[in-house]
Amino acid sequence: MNDGRDPFLPGASSPIARLVEAFHRLPGIGPKSAQRLAYHILRAQEAEAQELADALVEVKRSIVFCAQCQNLTSRTPCEICTDASRDRHLICVVEEPLDVLAIERTNGFRGLYHVLHGVISPSDGVGPEDLKIAELLARLRDVETEVAEIIVATNPNLEGEATAMYLGRLLRPLGIRVTRLARGLPAGADLEYADDVTLGRALEFRQEVT
Amino acid sequence: MPGRIPRVTHTAAIVLRYRRLGEADRIITLLTPTRGKIDVIAKGVLRSKSRMGGHLEPLTLVEVVLAHGRTMDVVTQAQTIEAFPDVHANLDRLSAAMYLLELADRITIEHADAEGLHDLLHTALVRLARGDGQQVVQRTFELALLEATGFRPELTTCLRCSEPVAAEEAWWAPVEGGVLCASCARTDGGAQPIDATALRVLRAFQSQPYEDAGRIRLSDELAARMEQAMHALMRAVVERDLKSAQFVSAARRARVAGEGLDEAELAKDDE
Repeated sequence: MNDGRDPFLPGASSPIARLVEAFHRLPGIGPKSAQRLAYHILRAQEAEAQELADALVEVKRSIVFCAQCQNLTSRTPCEICTDASRDRHLICVVEEPLDVLAIERTNGFRGLYHVLHGVISPSDGVGPEDLKIAELLARLRDVETEVAEIIVATNPNLEGEATAMYLGRLLRPLGIRVTRLARGLPAGADLEYADDVTLGRALEFRQEVT
Repeated sequence: MPGRIPRVTHTAAIVLRYRRLGEADRIITLLTPTRGKIDVIAKGVLRSKSRMGGHLEPLTLVEVVLAHGRTMDVVTQAQTIEAFPDVHANLDRLSAAMYLLELADRITIEHADAEGLHDLLHTALVRLARGDGQQVVQRTFELALLEATGFRPELTTCLRCSEPVAAEEAWWAPVEGGVLCASCARTDGGAQPIDATALRVLRAFQSQPYEDAGRIRLSDELAARMEQAMHALMRAVVERDLKSAQFVSAARRARVAGEGLDEAELAKDDE
């Protein structure tokens, strides 16, 4: 069936090679992992492969941007935006959909979200116009908006800081309080190896021991 | 240098940028005083317990220990020397610094002799941090960078006919790299008129030491005209759009818009 060649030494055009190549394109998957995944699929039941294929196609067909928070969702507005128990005075602005999951895991935030889908990063060719900033402004300019505070939860690196300060500059004239996530030492850190900026911020925003 | 490459080297460096490599590693682009621009691998820096992560952010002067690798050196230790907190604290300074980093990155080739560029960039960042005018710092850095890399723009004599050009009659030709006289500019499609005062200040920046040039006071309007001319020139030299240059302008526009609104509100309060 494979012109006499060993199916486990795939040529460039064989289905196995195509599958390996497809896995290899995924982030964080090297050539060896791609081969392992491909051969796992080969050994698995056809139903399992079908399930994976269906899930892949479905996610591309049915997932859209939420009209309000711009998060990825299967229906718009998304579950979080329509949840009546959430605090409509607070919007947490994050870089990526995965950041929403991270903050939800803390169970410490009951407000709404806004996903920028990126961060201002000139070295990667991303400017403010490439992010969902206009959508955020439209949301805040809405006459029915109850938003009183924007929590900017971009990453604490150069791009994240620049994005946060740029948002602050855009939003302050609207009379909305703009805050930034606190910055300090991560759990399990070692003072000896902390960088100056982190340690400096940790000192600056120190808290009373209760 | 004859003999074997040492296994481990120490160097100071300014972190220009990074890109992700795999799950938790990064390729860091460094500008060093002696080896020019180099890419190095920093392993595990995306993990929250990384002992190096925070030290290898762009816009940091670091001391690194590099282990010689087959394709790229690997960072084994990193310690911040200077993190420029006063630049981070202000969007105008921060966006200007991002522009300087992108320029330094785009104009250099990896491993190419870039002696002096590290010092130029460091000096400019120190000036931004201590609150010197961002426009002056950016324009003088651009001119010094062009000079150091062999792209010194010609600001006083016509690039075509080599006759001296008066500032009032000069045309700006970014692709050629300087000014043209009015008669030569007529045959050049890319040349644009340039504001005489803007050109005079650029000439002063090019010919005078920073301490003297830095004393020239620039109005917002004049600074914007100089910025426009120099951004066009830099774009022609690096042969691509500089996203950070656009961000510098966007940040300033947002500030002006905000101030305008504040003033409007103040005026309302006065009534």
